[in-house]
Amino acid sequence: MRVLNLLINGDRVEVAAPEHWTLLEVLRYELGLTGSKQGCDKGDCGACTVLLDGKPVLACLTLAALCEGRAVTTIEGLLPAHVKAGGTGPDPVQAAFDECGALQCGFCQPGMMLSARALLDRNACPTRAEIKDALAGNLCRCTGYTQIFEAVELAIARRIGIEPAPRAWEAQRMPADEAERRAREFAEARERQKEPR
Amino acid sequence: MAARDLHGIGAPWGDRSPGDPENRAFEVIGKPHRKVDGLAKATGRAQYTDDLVLPGMLHAKTLRSPHAHARIVAIDTTRAQALPGVHAVITGRDLPIQYGVIPWTQDENALAVDKVRFVGDAVAAVAAVDEDTANAALKLIRVEYEPLHAFLDPEESLARSEPRIHDDSKTGNVSKHVRLDFGDVETALASADVVLEGDYVFHGTTHAAIEPHCALAQWSAEGLLTVWSSTQITHYVQRALAKVLELPIHKIRVIQPALGGAFGGKSDPFSLEFCVAKLAMLTGRPVKMLYTREEVFYCHRGRHPMQLHYRTGASKDGKIAAVDAKILIDGGAYSSFGLVTTYYAGQLLTGPYHFPNYRFDSTRVFTNKPPCGPKRGHGSVQPRFAFEVQLDELAERIALDPIELRRRNFQGDFTRTVNGQRITSNGFLACLDEVERASGWRARRGKLGFGRGLGVAGSMSISGTNYPVYPNKMPQAGIQLAAERSGRVTVFTGGNDIGQGSNSVVAYVVAEELGMDVADVRVVAADTDLVPVDLGAYSSRVTFMVGNATIDAARKLRASIVLAIAKEWQVDAARVRMANGRVFDTESTERSITTAEAFQIAEAHCDTLGSTGSYNTPTLGGDYRGGTIGASPAYSFTAHVVEASVDVETGRITCHAVWIAHDCGRALNPMLVAGQMEGSAYMGIAEALLEEHGVNRFGLHAGPSLLDYRIPTSVDTPELAALIVESLDPEGPYGAKEAGEGPLHPSLPALSNAIFDAVGVRLRELPFTPAKVLRALAEKDARSAPVARGRA
Amino acid sequence: MLRLPNFEVRTPERLDEAVALLAELGEGARVIAGGTDLVPNMKHELFTPRVLVSLARLPELRGIGDAGPGWLRIGAMTSLADVAADARVEQHAPALAQAAGLVAGPQLRTMGTLGGNVLLDTRCQWYNQTYFWREALGFCLKKDGTLCHVVEGGSKCVAAASNDTAPALMTVRAELVFAGPDGRRVTPIDDLWIADGIANKKCGRDEILVEVRLPHSGSGHRGAYGKLRDRGSIDFPLLGVAVKLELNTEDAVADADVVLTALQARPVRIKRASELLRGVRIGTEAFLAAARGVAEQAHKQAHPMPNIPGDADWRRAMVPVYVRRTLEAAATRAGPVHAV
Repeated sequence: MRVLNLLINGDRVEVAAPEHWTLLEVLRYELGLTGSKQGCDKGDCGACTVLLDGKPVLACLTLAALCEGRAVTTIEGLLPAHVKAGGTGPDPVQAAFDECGALQCGFCQPGMMLSARALLDRNACPTRAEIKDALAGNLCRCTGYTQIFEAVELAIARRIGIEPAPRAWEAQRMPADEAERRAREFAEARERQKEPR
Repeated sequence: MAARDLHGIGAPWGDRSPGDPENRAFEVIGKPHRKVDGLAKATGRAQYTDDLVLPGMLHAKTLRSPHAHARIVAIDTTRAQALPGVHAVITGRDLPIQYGVIPWTQDENALAVDKVRFVGDAVAAVAAVDEDTANAALKLIRVEYEPLHAFLDPEESLARSEPRIHDDSKTGNVSKHVRLDFGDVETALASADVVLEGDYVFHGTTHAAIEPHCALAQWSAEGLLTVWSSTQITHYVQRALAKVLELPIHKIRVIQPALGGAFGGKSDPFSLEFCVAKLAMLTGRPVKMLYTREEVFYCHRGRHPMQLHYRTGASKDGKIAAVDAKILIDGGAYSSFGLVTTYYAGQLLTGPYHFPNYRFDSTRVFTNKPPCGPKRGHGSVQPRFAFEVQLDELAERIALDPIELRRRNFQGDFTRTVNGQRITSNGFLACLDEVERASGWRARRGKLGFGRGLGVAGSMSISGTNYPVYPNKMPQAGIQLAAERSGRVTVFTGGNDIGQGSNSVVAYVVAEELGMDVADVRVVAADTDLVPVDLGAYSSRVTFMVGNATIDAARKLRASIVLAIAKEWQVDAARVRMANGRVFDTESTERSITTAEAFQIAEAHCDTLGSTGSYNTPTLGGDYRGGTIGASPAYSFTAHVVEASVDVETGRITCHAVWIAHDCGRALNPMLVAGQMEGSAYMGIAEALLEEHGVNRFGLHAGPSLLDYRIPTSVDTPELAALIVESLDPEGPYGAKEAGEGPLHPSLPALSNAIFDAVGVRLRELPFTPAKVLRALAEKDARSAPVARGRA
Repeated sequence: MLRLPNFEVRTPERLDEAVALLAELGEGARVIAGGTDLVPNMKHELFTPRVLVSLARLPELRGIGDAGPGWLRIGAMTSLADVAADARVEQHAPALAQAAGLVAGPQLRTMGTLGGNVLLDTRCQWYNQTYFWREALGFCLKKDGTLCHVVEGGSKCVAAASNDTAPALMTVRAELVFAGPDGRRVTPIDDLWIADGIANKKCGRDEILVEVRLPHSGSGHRGAYGKLRDRGSIDFPLLGVAVKLELNTEDAVADADVVLTALQARPVRIKRASELLRGVRIGTEAFLAAARGVAEQAHKQAHPMPNIPGDADWRRAMVPVYVRRTLEAAATRAGPVHAV
């Protein structure tokens, strides 16, 4: 056993855990933070993604003993952090995933949302291609990813304060020219945000 | 059919006319509402089985067979039992009663008795203070095996009946044989203008839900057993536990916590559910078992590999005259749902096209491989692949546009198939129109240049089946509602929400019927102590059956509330309307109270407020042995167009886009329907291009990990365009049908057909690996005049 | 879940302390850097060290900077994501930046280090499996057994070098700085390899890779990396091709180098690449012809075996295609080649 001093979702936590436990095991089975999921055992699926010093890592391959002195953010930490920063309710990424249908079984999504959160923290207006690249280490078996991309883009649109591009299924239910116009306007607004002020 | 099962397709308070495609009369239905469990999942609060911890809980692990086929000579567990921290060790002797999801083919044991039948078959289980101790104990168990000949090739299983994989089998190593003949196939083929004949191969694939299987059991001093399990069918697990553990079924409570994906892979009762239960009973402690990803691959129950031979006869204008199929199905080591698979392989092909004559001959054999079972589109994805590619070959032969060919053979709505299945609403033509339009088919097909092409395919799928897994006359779906003076309604449903959103669907229905906010409807689901029986999440039955049962219950509750209010106001009940969270008098709208106030009045007038509802299918199916298998109260229809390109140097296929048009009846929530359609197409394309579930020459799983079993990432997935087609079904809830399985079927043949459009080669064998593509291109080159390619 | 065997973790703060610890602990100790290769291997019981010595707190192993005139140093603990995104790496060794950016998936590039990728264990479908699976097979030559299942009857392990960055570093003639009980040694990365899948590197158990040094490149330097894999992310290479071109002021090739990985136990340098390309101007038919010549040579030299998943014959057929495409990509600064 080893006593670990960890910084989890902003709190200093002292926890005793077997020395060979991964961060994922300590989070789930010692601290009860079961939002981080285990899907593949060994770094192949991304369900256990947490943020370590703000960057997405796989908790199933991270030794808990090596996390001392580093800031760990789990899915449970997003809403309280958002509220603490003056927001209301869930983190905009969480809200957008909920509103876009991106949560089917929901099992891979804590990891997915943390990857998305980290992306938006370093790049406020990523393109669809950048979103895909940033999420390419998080396997989802339910959605075909489309509603996930749409959720990230909804969070972006909210942040810029514009209307998001219509979702793929909505676009098919509206006149083609209207769908194209809205997609174009969203892309242009996103590009403008990227340009240096 | 009971009158209670017919609710009409219109809105509860609307004019109930079908001419309301935009759902204007609905308040909730047809709108992209959030899911009832969306934020719980988004914030990490939702609890899945492995998230549960009970005081004093032990951890269990399974010892598995290293042999593909062997007799167990002896098992010595004494050293394992003596290891400090070990509380119990069990073997097949402790759980000798066989089970299996289909009552007629129960050939499984929780732990092997006398024989093991594939590498990974469960042999013993240990409960210990922690996982490490349990693992250490496994290494101390000595098993003496006498290896037997291992069958890895289904052809061999067909040819050789000894050694028998199942000793008591009366049919050698054949698991099931079905031959059904409708019309006169031989005569029709002999007189057909064109006859296509070909062999097609469908490899094995697996579900790969991201949540591994997990079960937790608690045995109480009162003799009650509670099992939490990542199952998609709580009711069948409860029944199987009762049988194997010899407990009265009412002493067993099965709970399905939040479920991390299933796709059919959590439909069977699994070894771990019996093991944790037995170990909990033996130790008096809660016991949990979580499978490793490797063990999930051994559990499998994935899509059956099939070798398919099809002959299709047609007139020169493309009308199908006869279809003749012969199918060899590799079942793996156990029966699972295999009896149904063998029927489905033939029974579900008879739409959306009219077959005047049809015959199929399907044989499922046992092999010493992980057992196959139901995966999204159970039994029908493989024949659909073969047949839709053959249809494309027919179109090519008679020089007809492949979409036009499919239109010409459309069977129509409100008709009967050649094998006696009743077809109600059928929006297949609209599906074809939609994919044709959205993909720019007419302007683009055959005109994208060498290397890039478009392909089409269609399909039909079931919305539940009228054949319950065990025959009985009770409802297939039951619902209870409890309304309370605060204005809250709770729905009790046995439906299993596996991520598809069935809990949300029941909440939407209740909110619609009672004119309430969805947020004021709570859902209690999939806990056999609390909810009425429901047959679970399989065969795309939940929206149709549970949705209908919910309407049934909600309308009864509504009637009693309306009556009470009418009495209170002394008006005719027809004037009382519930909408927007209020109850009002339609002829005197200033008379209006909140839902909560209405509940209070009703509670005072009536009694504690509640209702029940149920659904059962009408009598369906053909009048012959097996005629009810594949009989569904409604069928969904799908068409896809796939756009793909081929790198002729590497053989690599890039699937760029899939246009998915799916007739789901009324889309109760178009966002969730689209999610099912997109997820289905994603999975189908993945099966065609990347995934392969097989064993190596030793009978070992070729790569039991999510690294080697390659499911697509965000950068591997094509653009997915969901085109929802709503052919309102007269018997579906508000006209709804299924959306979770049908939209997978056409992906694979449409991709093959797109490759043909791109480079002129027919891919009849899945998966379409680059090596196969290069071989096909080389064969084509060899056949035609040599064309110089820029090979390095 | 799949468990790690028991071990202790040590986190030395100084390099000499870490070296001394390794010497003292001997066979029972292993170094852990990012852990992305070691931890899964330990879950597979391929390694069961008593003690893991973490390099996470050693300042000498961090950062990218100058290593004297004309050299760039990359600390061995620099994450692959940082290597991929660094402008100096992009300038002096574009093939390395591209290769680092294509290792595994985003999270693993954040965790995984350049040093760890250089020293990656060889991979084989009969080896990178759980203890249960390997035991069912009777184990294999590389670990716990005596039989090779890739080459039946084979007596030499043919597990594949699978590190994307190694060939890229070889094309730029990188040097590795190791610290050991006898002090530091500097070795050209070319001299690291042994053609033995069991242990394909000349590197002592008690040595720590401190940094990787790259010579600065001139304005005529071109580099690219080509990676063949089934998916666009996560997967190890089925084939990796690193290319370097040095162009003179007329845009003609003055020097060239092509190194392949994921075929056999060590990265393979393609012979005569420079000879075939020298003097040829990029963007000309002659360049394409010369690139095809190098591709043919690569095809002759490359004999992938069914060591890693995937059709070995197809992987061999892809060698000339990827060599040619990566050469063209290097010339036009269009790398990486990663068509999925």
